[in-house]
Amino acid sequence: MGNYLDYLLFAVLPYVAVGTLLLVSIQRYRSETFTFSSLSSQFLENKKHFWALVPFHYGILVITLGHLAAFLTPRTILLWNSHPLRVAVLEVSALACGILTLIGLFAMVARRASNSKLRVVTSPIDTVLVVMLIVQVALGVWIAVAHPWGSSWFAASLTPYLRSLFTMSPDISYVTSMPLMVKLHIINAFLVVGLFPFTRLVHVLVIPNPYLWRKTQVVRWYRGDNA
Amino acid sequence: MSLRLSRLTLVLGVLLACASVQAQETAAYFKQNCMSCHTIGGGKLTGPDLKGVTERKDREWLTSFIVNPKAKVDSGDAYALQLLDEARGVVMPTIAGIDAEQAGFLLDLIEAESALEESQFKGIQISNEPFTQKDIDTGLAIFTGRQSLKNGGPACFSCHNAPGVGVLGGGRLDPVKADLTKVYERLQGRTVLSTWLMSPATPTMQSIFKNASLEKDEIYSLVAYFENSAQHGEVGQASAQLTFALFGIVGAALALVLFDVIWNGRFVAVRRPLVDSEKL
Repeated sequence: MGNYLDYLLFAVLPYVAVGTLLLVSIQRYRSETFTFSSLSSQFLENKKHFWALVPFHYGILVITLGHLAAFLTPRTILLWNSHPLRVAVLEVSALACGILTLIGLFAMVARRASNSKLRVVTSPIDTVLVVMLIVQVALGVWIAVAHPWGSSWFAASLTPYLRSLFTMSPDISYVTSMPLMVKLHIINAFLVVGLFPFTRLVHVLVIPNPYLWRKTQVVRWYRGDNA
Repeated sequence: MSLRLSRLTLVLGVLLACASVQAQETAAYFKQNCMSCHTIGGGKLTGPDLKGVTERKDREWLTSFIVNPKAKVDSGDAYALQLLDEARGVVMPTIAGIDAEQAGFLLDLIEAESALEESQFKGIQISNEPFTQKDIDTGLAIFTGRQSLKNGGPACFSCHNAPGVGVLGGGRLDPVKADLTKVYERLQGRTVLSTWLMSPATPTMQSIFKNASLEKDEIYSLVAYFENSAQHGEVGQASAQLTFALFGIVGAALALVLFDVIWNGRFVAVRRPLVDSEKL
């Protein structure tokens, strides 16, 4: 029974999640193009917004890039980690970013719970998403502290598993003996991927990257009496 | 006639190829599931040396024992109880999914390997000579990853803790088994430890090292390091994890202060300064 459940969670669920992500994202973009947005509420409340938005985004970006680096270049990560001091620098930085992400998420919850205008623009799917993200990041922080050094064992054990998924020949032997918290972190990650196209997370797919390098613009209002 | 001969050759070739594949699969199976406790001609580990086991006991008995060792012990079988006594009460674990057919393949392999002068499953024979400081230092370098493993495996430090690896300690993927300070004592010395390193028995290590097994000289150095740490090392304390967590919290707090400093003018109007600085 355990084997079937493992197979379902680690060999079937990933494909269902990614399939849902691709199909629903395309369908939503074609039929509801202008819903591809983070649906910013900054204009409704701006002070608490900073302490939710900034820690969350900087934290999650670094953490996501770290996971991506371990997936794409595991040998580089293992080479970097071939000295205890370098492992400590990498892991402490990653843990700090995980904590920042968690702080950002809790600040989001506090901000939306304390403001009636924000509660009106908070949908049920937002609530589901933020709960799943809190679970995901809390599990990640727990794993970082209770099961160090994740950057190394991820590169050694989970990267081969993820690569086996990409080659359509899932090898779940890499994950079935992992600690429970690690398994839950992986399963919840796939659930977030599956939920992604139904939420405001789709804004990740349409990030206005040119904002990063184009010159600042002053938008002048046009009024007829100035003409 | 020549057509019949070539067909016969083809059939024999296919049969031999199948037998060869089966033998390779069984050898890998033996390495993964049996070798952490048994050798073939290398002496007793936790379980008995299997050289010539098919001459000591009949195949039917051996098959039923391999498929379900605990049932055989529980049945009160005299030879099973003798094995249990020799293994100091350690009941041989049942291998997940094993059946009579697979047990038969294992017995074929053991029989064939027993006939050889030196089996590939003899294990590593490490002499009782004292290790040198250089052996111990090389073992530590392999453990931490400063010296890369020749076949590309990750450093032990990724998942395990042991003395001499820094203030924050080593990895703890499995908190119960992660600390290897006293592993030399747990595995009762050089022979079992070296054989275990040659063929790790945990599912996690099997999956990682199935294509990256340790070389004999690496095992030798690691055994030297583990023997030394068992004699002189202290088992890792939870304080290393607490220190790590505190570093993380301090890092996050510093980042928050940095954000506040960088964006300290965030509540000042944006549009007016931009308009003022625009050259018309």
